[in-house]
Amino acid sequence: MLEVKNLNAGYGHLQIIRDVNFSVNDGEVIAILGSNGAGKTTTVRAITGMLKPMSGSVNFNGQELCGKSSRAILDAGIIQVPEGRQLFTEMTVYENLELGAFSDAAREKLDESLKFCYKYFPKLEERTSQSAGTLSGGEQQMVAVARALIGLPKLLILDEPSLGLAPNIVDEILTVAHDMAKNNGISVILVEQDVNKALKTADMGYVIENGHVVLSGTSAELQNNEHVKRAYLGI
Amino acid sequence: MDTFLQACINGLMIGGFYSLMGMGQNVIFGVMKIINFCHGEMLMVGMYLAYVFYTYLGIDPYVALPLVALVMFIAGAIFQHTLITPSLGTKSFTNLLFLTVGMGILLTNGAQVLFSSDYRTITTSYSSIILSLGPITVALPRVVSFCVLIAVSIALAFFLKYTRTGKKIRAVSQNPIGAQVVGIDTKKIYMITYGLGAALAGVSGALLTLFYVINPTAGSNFGFRALIVVVVGGLGSISGAFFAGIFLGLLETLVSLFIGPSLRTLVVFATFIVILVIRQNIILRRA
Ligand SMILES: Nc1ncnc2c1ncn2[C@@H]1O[C@H](COP(=O)(O)OP(=O)(O)OP(=O)(O)O)[C@@H](O)[C@H]1O
Ligand SMILES: [Mg+2]
Repeated sequence: MLEVKNLNAGYGHLQIIRDVNFSVNDGEVIAILGSNGAGKTTTVRAITGMLKPMSGSVNFNGQELCGKSSRAILDAGIIQVPEGRQLFTEMTVYENLELGAFSDAAREKLDESLKFCYKYFPKLEERTSQSAGTLSGGEQQMVAVARALIGLPKLLILDEPSLGLAPNIVDEILTVAHDMAKNNGISVILVEQDVNKALKTADMGYVIENGHVVLSGTSAELQNNEHVKRAYLGI
Repeated sequence: MDTFLQACINGLMIGGFYSLMGMGQNVIFGVMKIINFCHGEMLMVGMYLAYVFYTYLGIDPYVALPLVALVMFIAGAIFQHTLITPSLGTKSFTNLLFLTVGMGILLTNGAQVLFSSDYRTITTSYSSIILSLGPITVALPRVVSFCVLIAVSIALAFFLKYTRTGKKIRAVSQNPIGAQVVGIDTKKIYMITYGLGAALAGVSGALLTLFYVINPTAGSNFGFRALIVVVVGGLGSISGAFFAGIFLGLLETLVSLFIGPSLRTLVVFATFIVILVIRQNIILRRA
């Protein structure tokens, strides 16, 4: 469904990612792995139109999205849960979720989508009228994921959902991500530093170092790869 | 006691204008993170619009309010989109400073060219009706204008709280990246926000015309006070701006009464500086 080819992007004249290639199939969870500053978030920004790519191709279900506006890319069905969550902290949980419904279709299905999200994150239902900034980190991450789901994504991109969260909350969120891909027809790109957890959730993995994909394979292959073991799993 | 009550009423009435001006300035600051240095001049333009509507077309200033608001909204939105938006994000703060300061000068001089510096007034059939409650007297237009101001303030608060556009405006001011993530067209929100600020200033100006002289520099006092209101009420806080505006109006008239009218502006600015210093200390201590 998504095919990224020779994607180049950076900030100003400074190029960060070079010729990044990967693809996502329907119902698949792929992991993009790499350490701090490898260029994972830059890749996400380039795909979602938050950052204008220098060159390359982002083909989504036959539609070329490279260089399109972030709104056009949202409309195509690629929605991200951004790094650092980027919630509207002084607005209520409900208002945050409501703002996730950017299209007419999403607004029509808002109530249904809310029920769907509360099923996965029951805690949110109790906190709808609380301002988002007063929630715990884990709850805020749930709001961010729910806000993205309310936009009715075909492809969901999670940028480091585990950052600063307790292991059990991370598991909860990764389980939801997995369930989206397997039972709800929403493919998932999981960007993670926590390689161990990410590979347990994902079908495929791509390792980015210095802005370049240096290694890719199925999760099982990567888990057994010597380089991955040494550099990321500490085995 | 009577003079005290009278001063309070007068302060309240003028404070309503400071509130609305401050609220407009605050919405603009919240969304664009810029200070609109021509806010007072936009009020002055609203005065002349009401004047033109009344003198040449015979439209009562209160009836003309929606027209003034519409004209100001459109002009503000165009100014934002063509000049301010392209300068946002370029690191040049001075660009933005010159843009709004320059627009203020342009508006003042434009008014001078079109209408000369003469003081103008609008006198309607009801201008001289005085309402009295015991010893306290107020001109009818002041009361009506004040009620309209309050209604507009409440409408603004509701707009920001409950409408979809209002929620988007708050979203952009709280987190522009988050706003982009959920597909909000920030440039459109900038236009609406600046247009809204211009419309509020214009409406304030039109409401003033029935008891305030109209001249090309009439707006500057209100522009300065809008800044004070924003700082005292808290950056980005709409309710803060509302109460700060009323407070400032009361402070001014009470200082005039007890200390003397000539010291009014001095005391207002001194209070402003004191509040700034106190705030700064509180912020520093927290940090
Ligand atoms: N807005 C920016 N302007 C300039 N350089 C940037 C900007 N954002 C990121 N960079 C640089 O790009 C490089 C890659 O950053 P990126 O955020 O993509 O890394 P990442 O893989 O997501 O890391 P992390 O796991 O820490 O989030 C870093 O060297 C960073 O300093
Ligand atoms: Mg990152």
